[in-house]
Amino acid sequence: MVTAVQHNVGLGQIQVARNDEMLTSILGSCIGVVIYDQSRRIAAFAHVVLPTSGGRPGSPGRFADSAVPAMLQQLRNEGANPQQLRAKITGGACMFGNSQINIGERNAEEVRRQLKEKKIPLIAEDVGGAKGRKVHFSPQTSQLEVVVMGVTSTII
Amino acid sequence: MSENHPVSKVHLEVLHQLLGAATHEASAAMCRWTNGLITMSLDEVREIPLEEVSVEYDFGMEMLTMVVLTLNGEIGGSMILCFDEENGRELASSLLSSKQSGSGQWSALERSALCETGNILGCAYLNALTRLMSVELVPSPPYFLQDYGASVLQQALMEQAGIDDQVLICRTRFTRGDQELNWNVFFVPNIQMRQRMEDALHIDA
Repeated sequence: MVTAVQHNVGLGQIQVARNDEMLTSILGSCIGVVIYDQSRRIAAFAHVVLPTSGGRPGSPGRFADSAVPAMLQQLRNEGANPQQLRAKITGGACMFGNSQINIGERNAEEVRRQLKEKKIPLIAEDVGGAKGRKVHFSPQTSQLEVVVMGVTSTII
Repeated sequence: MSENHPVSKVHLEVLHQLLGAATHEASAAMCRWTNGLITMSLDEVREIPLEEVSVEYDFGMEMLTMVVLTLNGEIGGSMILCFDEENGRELASSLLSSKQSGSGQWSALERSALCETGNILGCAYLNALTRLMSVELVPSPPYFLQDYGASVLQQALMEQAGIDDQVLICRTRFTRGDQELNWNVFFVPNIQMRQRMEDALHIDA
């Protein structure tokens, strides 16, 4: 049996997948952003850690304000049709109940702002809460599966 | 230490000494709490680029059982005591003098036993750091979590990642006699804590 290639997207990384390849990540307060072209079955996934770079160097996937432009560039380079691009987002939990900084919500807000600015329709989101998420996205189906607590699975 | 400039190997060795001393005290407390069964030792103090954390600390995709203490105030950080399901259950049943490990939902007693373990261990560790660094550290009450290990570590790293490209992580291992246990404590200081640790050790950036 041939198993589809699985890409684990770590902190601050951006990865591109095609067809039945699978993009997978574990998200806490970070945001997982997937931008995809359903017609050409190609997708980019970013594991965004912080809302803004403030001009700091570093991998573009780390910050929401640099991740979205970098994903669009990579998708263009891979032959995606800019007019067909759509987005889904997930993550952004507040894991420690007493945390004064809800970085997850700030991450989500900045990602939404970036997508709006770049005119990428945000089709679905599953954001917030207090639990981590295991997520899978396949360009073949454009479905984002979100698993919470190892059992509760939602498809968006 | 300064932004975007990793601390040197010498700095890490000195930080290792400080955190090793705190771990030693926590180990003594752990040993008393478990009637001499369990001891702990500092495994590593590492500074690595944020993008490498997922590879270097691969928690897998499975759920872990954790007890988290966070330090409130300017000098802050997080301490995460984590087990796989089997080891967490075994510790709880041993502390509760129960012949059989529990299964299914964790009972209030089992959760309480693990939280108390985190409390004893964390307080001994932080008391030692308080004395060695001459600072007041105020931990939150411990709280019990079942979640993906990577997602909890992400939250703990947020404050460091907001300021620096490198993150400092301290990992502790546990042993029962000669046998290494699948338990870990991760201590993740915030930037101010890192600075104070280096100040206390007279490390110049």
